[in-house]
Amino acid sequence: MKRSWFRHLLSLHGILFLIFVYAPITVVVVYSFNSHPVNMMIWKEFTFDWYWSIFGFPTELNEQTLYVESTDQLLASVKNSFIVAFSTTTFATVVGTSTALALYRYQFRMQSFYRGLLYMPMVMPDIVLGIALLVFFVTFGIKLGLMSIIVGHCTFLVSYVFIVVTARLAGMDQSLEQASADLGATPWTTFRRITLPQIMPGVIGGALLAFIISMDDLVITYFIAGVDSTTLPVFIYGMLRRGVKPEINAIATLMLVFSFVIASLGLYLRSRK
Amino acid sequence: MRQTDTIAEVKGAVKSFAAPEGGKVRALDGISLEILHGQFVTLLGPSGCGKTTLLRTISGFEELDAGEVRIAGVKMTNVPPHRRPVNTVFQNYALFPHLSVDDNVGYGLDVSGVARNERDRRVNEALDRVGLSGFGLRKPDQLSGGQRQRVALARAIINRPKLLLLDEPLSALDRNLRQTMQLELKSLQNDLGICFLFVTHDQEEALTMSDLVVILNKGQIEQTGTPEELYHQPATPFVAEFVGDGSLFTGRIENTSDRPVLKTNDGLCLPLGRDARVGETATLLLRPEHLRLAPDQNDESLGILEATLEQSVFHGAIRNYICRLSNGALLTVALDASDTAYKRITTGDQLRLAYPRNLPYLIKQSGNGT
Repeated sequence: MKRSWFRHLLSLHGILFLIFVYAPITVVVVYSFNSHPVNMMIWKEFTFDWYWSIFGFPTELNEQTLYVESTDQLLASVKNSFIVAFSTTTFATVVGTSTALALYRYQFRMQSFYRGLLYMPMVMPDIVLGIALLVFFVTFGIKLGLMSIIVGHCTFLVSYVFIVVTARLAGMDQSLEQASADLGATPWTTFRRITLPQIMPGVIGGALLAFIISMDDLVITYFIAGVDSTTLPVFIYGMLRRGVKPEINAIATLMLVFSFVIASLGLYLRSRK
Repeated sequence: MRQTDTIAEVKGAVKSFAAPEGGKVRALDGISLEILHGQFVTLLGPSGCGKTTLLRTISGFEELDAGEVRIAGVKMTNVPPHRRPVNTVFQNYALFPHLSVDDNVGYGLDVSGVARNERDRRVNEALDRVGLSGFGLRKPDQLSGGQRQRVALARAIINRPKLLLLDEPLSALDRNLRQTMQLELKSLQNDLGICFLFVTHDQEEALTMSDLVVILNKGQIEQTGTPEELYHQPATPFVAEFVGDGSLFTGRIENTSDRPVLKTNDGLCLPLGRDARVGETATLLLRPEHLRLAPDQNDESLGILEATLEQSVFHGAIRNYICRLSNGALLTVALDASDTAYKRITTGDQLRLAYPRNLPYLIKQSGNGT
């Protein structure tokens, strides 16, 4: 039948697409367990050694191939990334949510203009934003460091949270807040007991999105990171410049697992309601 | 409280909104209204007549441009919604989806810090009153439309408001449930002794439940009265047309062979009662139940109309005969469906219809209605 022939083609198309998306990631994960020290595309045998090696534990491979020069540097960059991501997420979530509420609730002049301003950072090329921030910090004599990274990330992550929370607010029944006020609740009580629980999935979604983006941002951070404030993506990029080493597969796999955990947490919290 | 105590009062209320095409639309154009203790008052009108706006100015979600609202004698200008002694049943119920039925109903007590025991007791009492005992732990999305309606009602009465505002609360229910709820609402209002201010565009609903009906049109009050008054003595053509069924005929009152008749522009001639004042412009309302098939013998007290039967519609106890008059207008006649005498009538028949000549008619006032 012509029809079933067409359906098979559709399935094939779907499978090819999934391979296209997931094959590279699978390769990274699989080869992070490959013990071949020089050419990591040749499978030798299964090993956890790269994982031990990135955390500085002694392994059999250590003598010939010690690729991560300084485990301390790696761990410091991981720590920096977490400090940046947590600070940024907190700030962007509070400001983004408040902004979304303000634009949702009040009518004022040039409202759509301000809305447009909030969408702008999402479409702005990272490299432009990175250069702009660098010029800004240097011009005003602000020292590049963790603080400049946090400020830089906040400039565009507020937009992400704003957009996610706005989408959630658009689906909220406006009469709920009125019903709460009608029953005698003050505006603050209404926000705490009605509005916030209603938009919570959006707030959490926005926060997780901001966290993930902040954790793996390279381009902007590359411009505004100081010497002593390298984040994990910048550190990995530095490692790559000296050749692709097997440890990088292991680090990438760990980051992947971490992202999955965060995303699953988000889905779980959302479904729990 | 005495029966004559005023619970709520609206004086000279004016409210304008910016129209999308520029300019202003007056949603309320000088409305005054008084609600007495224990009354069930209905605001009735077509959509856009200002009835919901009026309700929202009383609940505090809209501020008036001019005029004032008083509840229990206290001026409500600049008093925010959460400090007004009224509660609202919203059109879409507005139940809090993340809270259980218990917590929805108890919300008004929780936010005002009522002690736990007292709160639980009153929540159970309110749920009991609306017939939802045992549903306390469910979430709103686990309830049927009628049950949600009852939860909204229980939630709104738990604060014992002086005045309960109901914004078309039955419009989302199917016909049978709506009729049941109408009777329940009425008896609930009797039990509680709270004033109800009910907004609807459904005249049947208004007539069924109300002590007093206020008919609004274009931001103004057309008529205020009991359901009987509105039905039998409509003050304006708008009210006559909006409440109940019927056909309106407008013309001048003239004398024909010493008997007053209403002559319309398109040539109809409708006999009127002896007290009709010749020379005036008037409107006559013929309701379906006013009309009968004319008897063969002459009867001075009847007005006669010639018509052609277009269609007959079965309605259980009665059958509606839709007839076309010589000027092209349609007229509905309601006849007893069980009377076999009417069986012979078929579509296309020429009928002679009769109505009592002494029916009250309206003097058309300038600037009113249609």
